[in-house]
Amino acid sequence: MVNQLTHTELIVLLLSISTMLIVSRIFAELGKRLKLPVVMGELIVGIILGPTIFGMLYPEAFDFLFPKIGNVPFAMDGIFKLSVIMLLFVAGMEVQLSLVLKQGKVAVYTSMFSMIIPFFTGFAVAWFFPEIFSISNEQGPKLLFSLFFGTALSISALPVIARILMDMNLFKTNIGMVIIASAMFNDLIGWLIFSFILSLTNTTHSDHISLWYTVAYILGFGLFMLTIGKKIIDKTLPWMQTKLSWPGGVLSISLGICLLSAAFTESINIHAILGAFIAGIAFGDSVHLREQAREIIHQFVTNFFAPLFFVSIGLKVNFIENFNPLIVTIVLVLAFAGKVLGATIGARLGGMSRNHALAVGFGMNARGAMEIILGTLALNAGLISKPIFVALIIMALITSLTSGPLMKRFID
Amino acid sequence: MDLSKLKKRPSYPFETIAVAVSFSPRCQPLLQQAKQISDVCRASLLLLHIGEKTKEKEKELEEIMDKSGINPNHSRVIWMEGEPVDTILKLCKLNIVDLLILGALEKENLLKFYLGSIARNISRKAKCSVLLLTNPTNAPIKFKKFVVNGVDNPKTIHTINTSLYLAKLLKIKDVSIVNEVDVPGLAMTIAEDSTAPQTKEIKKSFTENSEEVLQLVIEKCDIGNINLNNKIIKGKPGYAISKFARDKKADLLIINSPDTHLNLFDRIFAHDIEYVLADLPSNVLIVHSRV
Repeated sequence: MVNQLTHTELIVLLLSISTMLIVSRIFAELGKRLKLPVVMGELIVGIILGPTIFGMLYPEAFDFLFPKIGNVPFAMDGIFKLSVIMLLFVAGMEVQLSLVLKQGKVAVYTSMFSMIIPFFTGFAVAWFFPEIFSISNEQGPKLLFSLFFGTALSISALPVIARILMDMNLFKTNIGMVIIASAMFNDLIGWLIFSFILSLTNTTHSDHISLWYTVAYILGFGLFMLTIGKKIIDKTLPWMQTKLSWPGGVLSISLGICLLSAAFTESINIHAILGAFIAGIAFGDSVHLREQAREIIHQFVTNFFAPLFFVSIGLKVNFIENFNPLIVTIVLVLAFAGKVLGATIGARLGGMSRNHALAVGFGMNARGAMEIILGTLALNAGLISKPIFVALIIMALITSLTSGPLMKRFID
Repeated sequence: MDLSKLKKRPSYPFETIAVAVSFSPRCQPLLQQAKQISDVCRASLLLLHIGEKTKEKEKELEEIMDKSGINPNHSRVIWMEGEPVDTILKLCKLNIVDLLILGALEKENLLKFYLGSIARNISRKAKCSVLLLTNPTNAPIKFKKFVVNGVDNPKTIHTINTSLYLAKLLKIKDVSIVNEVDVPGLAMTIAEDSTAPQTKEIKKSFTENSEEVLQLVIEKCDIGNINLNNKIIKGKPGYAISKFARDKKADLLIINSPDTHLNLFDRIFAHDIEYVLADLPSNVLIVHSRV
């Protein structure tokens, strides 16, 4: 028997999706007036519509709109998984590794130190004090959590950073370019490490394939896509953009490549997000990709999949119940200290003045949407508990909100 | 090696011009065009051959020089054995060469490009300006259109001035100064929270900013009676100007020398000059400003 949505379930699914899209857009527009990141509005909508507020005040209505049984949760889960794949694809599309090479020594040092210092700070705290995070002292889970925590602290959020730099009119300056290039590099390495960690959490997989095979698969896939794959895309894009329907042709082929690549990495037991992210880099880095095509892909993903994904976060977690002030404080302190210190040291070693290096440090500190995606995937994979997840979300929001004003102090 | 004379030496006039001699079928036309350029610039001509000096080769070179109209009394030939790229670069430094002329294929096969051909590797590393002639012929040089990069970089003013110096000598009237607008991450940044007028305004501000930067640089240049066309184009730096030069059918594309030491990674994740070197759109002059 084929399982399919019933008439009522389809109505519920459509109602919940439309509610999420419309309410999140209203909040995003309101937030925009207050200069708040869109992702913040979407998260707030999730909290309002989720168990934290709506579920508590109107439990029956909440259960009707976001049911936990039946086929609707499966359908929603599929949409959310697709959303995260699409989000990683567009995030990859903006990564230009050539920019790191172009910016030279200062970008290389900044990106290296802004990863290494927060990573080891996070890793060390999680490894030596697992009890703070209620992590078992067993070697395996402790190692996985420590690796994840280090990665979570070292990642940056390119979209938020880019917006801050644009608002401050710093985009095309030396500081802006160093921050953008370093954030791109952070993203690439961060997602590579995170994919590795996720693949380790898959127990059936670790029974059969050794750790080194996983590393080799990840590196091999990355290398292939960023060299030969990129070359093939580069050669075929002009043809796609001129011979196929415009812009439909390039849109369906690009998203098709993204899903194909995601399916491949998932099939070799590396998470689908890596395939999507790397496909995004290979696709987005092409000189032949027209600006209009790039914008259409971004518009489609950012305004349909992103709200669904970010709103869904609030639907899954009760933010009040899972708020742990100690964990939030520790995560915040480590996130600020590691990233700002690391990026500042890197920029200084690269030859920047003290103030500009500090501006780079605070600029790199914005975690935004990337951190939220990372945390959600870790929560779904059972890597972290809900209080840690909530702490990561709060950290992502606070670092994003404070990044611009703190940067400004050192630019002026 | 005393390099003090090289430091801060202006990028023009070209007082010493060197040409690499390879004894290939394109050698004679290359020498002929090098001779024409050195005559126009009133520069001394230096012929460099990396390889063994034999009687046969000496005789062959004499014949080629004779055909090319190069007077042995007004030029020097240097023979040296060694690794071609490093030896040519060393000879250029030792002889305070201002311009090195090389023959280059428009496009090389993939393997050769990634490994690095002699001409392209010299272009990446040279401490003097390098002129890559893609299709040297025995006919007199008739350059009509120059395309010059106008990117926001301290080197650009030297590159534009060198281009103008050359344009005056070669009596070129059509010189386009091109600045490329590329904002990484822009599509992502404007996707979620910008209205259509805001997006338009943001894009316009980047273009206007590039125009201002270019105008400021041009104001400092010695333009003379040359008619400059300022152009702002969208696209990745290096690729966009290369495409522009090809579309415009330019005779010479003039760009800055690289800012960093380039290696294999720069070819894989291409940027700036690497896009030009990957597929030369015309003859290319890489100006080393020595700043």
